[in-house]
Amino acid sequence: MNPPSIGLLIEITARTLAVCLPALVISLAVGLPIGIAVGRRRFAGRGALVSLINTGMGAPPVVVGLLVYLALERNGPFGNLAWLYSGQAMILAQLLIALPLVVGITLAAVGSLDEDWELQVRTLGVPPRWRLWLLVREIRLSLLAAVITALGGILSEVGAVQMVGGNIEGETRVLTTAILMYTQMGEFEHALGSAAVLIGLMLVLTGLLTAVQQSGRA
Amino acid sequence: MLRSSSREREAGVSSAPAMTRSQFLPLLLGALVALACSDRRPEEGDLLLVTTTSVRDSGLLAALLPAFQQRTGIRPQVVAVGSGAALRMGIDGNADVLLTHAPDGERELVASGAAVSRTPIMENYFVIAGPPEDPAQVRDADSPADAIRRIAETPAPFVSRGDDSGTHRREVALLKEADLDPAGGWTGFASSGAGMGQTLQIAGERRAYVLSDLGTFLAFRERTGLVSLSEPTPSLRNVYSVLRVNPNRLEPARAKRAEQFEAFLLEADTQRRIAEFGRERFGRQLFLPLHLDPRARP
Amino acid sequence: MSQATILSVRDLRVELRSRRGSFVLTADALDLCARETLVILGPNGSGKSTLMRVLAGLERPVGGKVTSAATGPVTMVFQRPAPLAGSVVHNVRVAFLGKKRSGAELRDRIDEALARFQIDHLAQHRAATLSGGELRRLALARAFALRPAVLLLDEPFAGLDAEGQAALSLDLRRAISDTGVAVAMVTHDLRRAMLIADRIAVLIDGRLAQVGRRDDVIEKPSTPEIARVVGMTNLVQGVVVKERRGDCALVEIDARHRIATRTGLAPGTRVWVGIRPEYLKVDVGRGDVDPIGKGVVREVVNDGVAITVQLDWAGTELRTYLMAGRGLARTLRAGVPVSLSASPEHVHLIPVASNGSAAASDASRRAL
Repeated sequence: MNPPSIGLLIEITARTLAVCLPALVISLAVGLPIGIAVGRRRFAGRGALVSLINTGMGAPPVVVGLLVYLALERNGPFGNLAWLYSGQAMILAQLLIALPLVVGITLAAVGSLDEDWELQVRTLGVPPRWRLWLLVREIRLSLLAAVITALGGILSEVGAVQMVGGNIEGETRVLTTAILMYTQMGEFEHALGSAAVLIGLMLVLTGLLTAVQQSGRA
Repeated sequence: MLRSSSREREAGVSSAPAMTRSQFLPLLLGALVALACSDRRPEEGDLLLVTTTSVRDSGLLAALLPAFQQRTGIRPQVVAVGSGAALRMGIDGNADVLLTHAPDGERELVASGAAVSRTPIMENYFVIAGPPEDPAQVRDADSPADAIRRIAETPAPFVSRGDDSGTHRREVALLKEADLDPAGGWTGFASSGAGMGQTLQIAGERRAYVLSDLGTFLAFRERTGLVSLSEPTPSLRNVYSVLRVNPNRLEPARAKRAEQFEAFLLEADTQRRIAEFGRERFGRQLFLPLHLDPRARP
Repeated sequence: MSQATILSVRDLRVELRSRRGSFVLTADALDLCARETLVILGPNGSGKSTLMRVLAGLERPVGGKVTSAATGPVTMVFQRPAPLAGSVVHNVRVAFLGKKRSGAELRDRIDEALARFQIDHLAQHRAATLSGGELRRLALARAFALRPAVLLLDEPFAGLDAEGQAALSLDLRRAISDTGVAVAMVTHDLRRAMLIADRIAVLIDGRLAQVGRRDDVIEKPSTPEIARVVGMTNLVQGVVVKERRGDCALVEIDARHRIATRTGLAPGTRVWVGIRPEYLKVDVGRGDVDPIGKGVVREVVNDGVAITVQLDWAGTELRTYLMAGRGLARTLRAGVPVSLSASPEHVHLIPVASNGSAAASDASRRAL
């Protein structure tokens, strides 16, 4: 086994970001509107939907991985996409892991506002578009928490991406699967090297977001 | 834990009112901790057996160990990893006895003094598997090396274990024999860095060629739709050996148990079980024992 | 008070369903006129806040209609104003989102509104750090900055201490009279209502029970329930008798107690006699003009401003107030016999309903 060069490590790190960031962006783009909509409105079946979201927040990533695997395998319902063991499959799995987190935290943030918050703003004659803007502004710290939680969740996730990505060198190997592999191979130096990069990445990203969050609070 | 269980007894004997929540929680936690610890702590009679994954995943160990435990009272802890990792655990003294299939590495381990003996126990043959349509015409190859060369020249997809396991080492040996870069390098060559099962699944998805041990290949044959395209030739021979770690590095009791395990594997009864193994599930023999009287072979 | 109706409710029916059950609010007719202040009184759960929300257009009625002739904004200040993230100024500016106003005009309006409610020194503070009273002032300032035609106030004094209530009610009264805004206000604080109200509407159990000029409603409630809401807490049953005293009718409570009144009802009518505590006079001497008999002091409570005296009289309990510091206050203590009197024009009669509410009246007499 050739020792992994710095170049290889950089490549794996870049791929980690290339998988996690799209998954994060999509989960935010889809999850924030859903969280805000469900948080603001009262409708039949809302309780069931909220329970489903809360269950999703606690869903073990390996179970998500298994479901994505079964959906994407050649004889599965989406087998003709040929996404299994590709970046798309990993993004999909991470998206499904991050989405309930984003929706759930957004939902909780909207729910923590005063019951008649919306009415209070409405009675000032603020148009709907601006009401939405005010709402997002009001819960922005929680939204950043949602981003941090989702990013932390998918960046550190290994079970699902291993299952649906396959840890293929140069294609689907990301930091967590590389750590797992090196550990199983007994290559602890390389496992530790990758782990250091992963920890560094999380520190930098969550540190940046936390700094934004703190400055927003001041 | 002792204290909490005696407290529990007191609560039961005296006419104390129903346990309050503040009492119950520490008790529950204590019980959980005790449960977790009891599973972790190696007990007298234990043996740390590090094996290659194919031996465990094929179910062979599960078929053999009850007899060993019954006869000796030893309950081995089994850690299944790639052979490369297994050998390294041997070097680092994180194992009492090894069961691997990487002959060159095993010999180095003995030469270095980390292990004192290497005894071949059983063998079978690696399988070059691929899609039935066989685009690289591996079926017509003269030798395994020729088969690999055909795959590389086509070029056809190939999924490598890439994890320094015994199987991966054999891949590397075949690539070298075929005068190819051990890291592959042709279009379609992929390194999974995963276990045999997942590597076979990836190969199945990609209609790719793959080198596999016989047991795992058979276990995944239906799921992947791959077929065996190779003959059992000497260069695909796959020998599993037991290695005893140097007793100087072990507690004497453990070294003795490692010897007992080695002896157990060589017993005629065990060898017969190995020979029988696999017929029920796969309809064929998976491992050929090496210490069975030829006349007694099934 | 102008007669131009600015907000009008007809045949209103609102149904609310919640986990705790359903609630129905009805109101036959309720008008809010330009430049007037209408105070809506009622016990807890009588539907005051719901009526507010209907007037604000935040709740949709299932029947009837609310018509508005307002030419300016109709806005509402909630019982618990929610601070928005950001400064006090930002919280006021929010009211102008989506409305085109020049920066200078905006600044003028905001400064004026903050000064009106004496929170201009807090302009740059984060709204979330304000106290409950400051927050209420902020919400009122924001509402006034909009220059509303109609202002709806839901319990604007709730949760404030006595001093805060007094200060805020004075500022609010000044702001209302300066701007001439029409105000509908919900409260169960009778004293603040008296200070501000031109007219009073009373809600009982989800029904608009009485509406009229302030003094009419306060002095002539049409049912005992309304009487209790507007502070006519001295209520006792009797019968109008034939004899008269001068030009006053007489109501017999029992064999030894009769009360003179100017309210004209046919002899033999069973009535509730209502006397507001402030009109019930008490004296340790021989008794005054308009005597209604002897009573005994049961309890004297002094809160520093006013003294509340509970009295036993004719088998029921009456209440009256004295100013603290008066000489009489010092001689009154539990067990002291006193003479009671009430001027006939302040003795209000409510015929006892002959229908189903008689049972309710019995129940409320027991409560007395």
